[in-house]
Amino acid sequence: MLLSFAQWVQATGLFSAVRMSWYVYPVILSLHLVAISIFGGMVLMTNLRLLGLALKDRLVSDVVDQLRIPKRIFFVLVALFGILLAGSKAEEYYYNYFFWIKMSLLALLAVHALVFRAGVYDKAAELNQVKKMPGRVKLAAALSLLLWTCVACAGRGIGYVEPPLEKLHAEIRTIFLR
Amino acid sequence: MQQSDDVLIELSNPLNESALTFPVLECIHILGFAFSIGTIAMVDFRLLDVWMVRQTPSQVARDMAPWTIFGLAMMLLSGPMLFLSDPDMYYLNHSFQMKMVLLLLGLVFNYTIHRKAALNDASGARAKVVAAVSLVLWAGVIFGGIFIAFV
Repeated sequence: MLLSFAQWVQATGLFSAVRMSWYVYPVILSLHLVAISIFGGMVLMTNLRLLGLALKDRLVSDVVDQLRIPKRIFFVLVALFGILLAGSKAEEYYYNYFFWIKMSLLALLAVHALVFRAGVYDKAAELNQVKKMPGRVKLAAALSLLLWTCVACAGRGIGYVEPPLEKLHAEIRTIFLR
Repeated sequence: MQQSDDVLIELSNPLNESALTFPVLECIHILGFAFSIGTIAMVDFRLLDVWMVRQTPSQVARDMAPWTIFGLAMMLLSGPMLFLSDPDMYYLNHSFQMKMVLLLLGLVFNYTIHRKAALNDASGARAKVVAAVSLVLWAGVIFGGIFIAFV
């Protein structure tokens, strides 16, 4: 069922257009990475501040609160470009284990948000006063850094999995044989 | 003679001995530009007056500077190693050549005009132009990097 969904998605006009032009796909991939570098930089600095490793002269709330909106905006951009990339090669990605590892890691990050957002990232102002950062805050920051780094590496891994040509639709197969 | 030399170099290139070396270097490269371009972008957003506005541009620039260097070091160590895995291909690749030009421009711009504007707490149109040029240059470096595999 997931496979037929993937085949249907990539056959739609938008995703076919991404796939069929030689430059549209790399342009979207580049935009995906531009957004990742900005989003990633903000994730890194937020969590390094919570770990007490960066921006120590700044209030925790100055870092965490001020980066929340841009982080969200750039996450949406990363996701939009990512969906365009994945959708245009949905059938191929269905067979790509790194794609599924990446999606699983993103699911874990959703769990991370459910567990830690209310108690840590929404309470940054309360952390301005503490002398020693509580363990759960450091745990949240360390896990976030670890998971996002793994997401980036898994994303890069997607490009290394050879598509199973014999299983793909003829029209998709021609891209690889060009 | 020339040909046998090439074969020797290829056989002995330690960067091609393990299939993992290249992808691991690429991951370090990605993390490096999240640190460097990410922190430069934060200064740009401050100069554009959109985010980090509780601090002055000079404060943001000083806060981010060591992390920009940290990211640049990761990029400039992993990058040449990626290059050296297949120098002939990269050297002749137009996108790679473009990327190197933009990288050089980006670095020079960042440590001259960009740095001066931020440390002097520039505002108004001048600050916005500097921030926009910075963002375009660094985005261009990323475009150049991605297109290496597509041209």
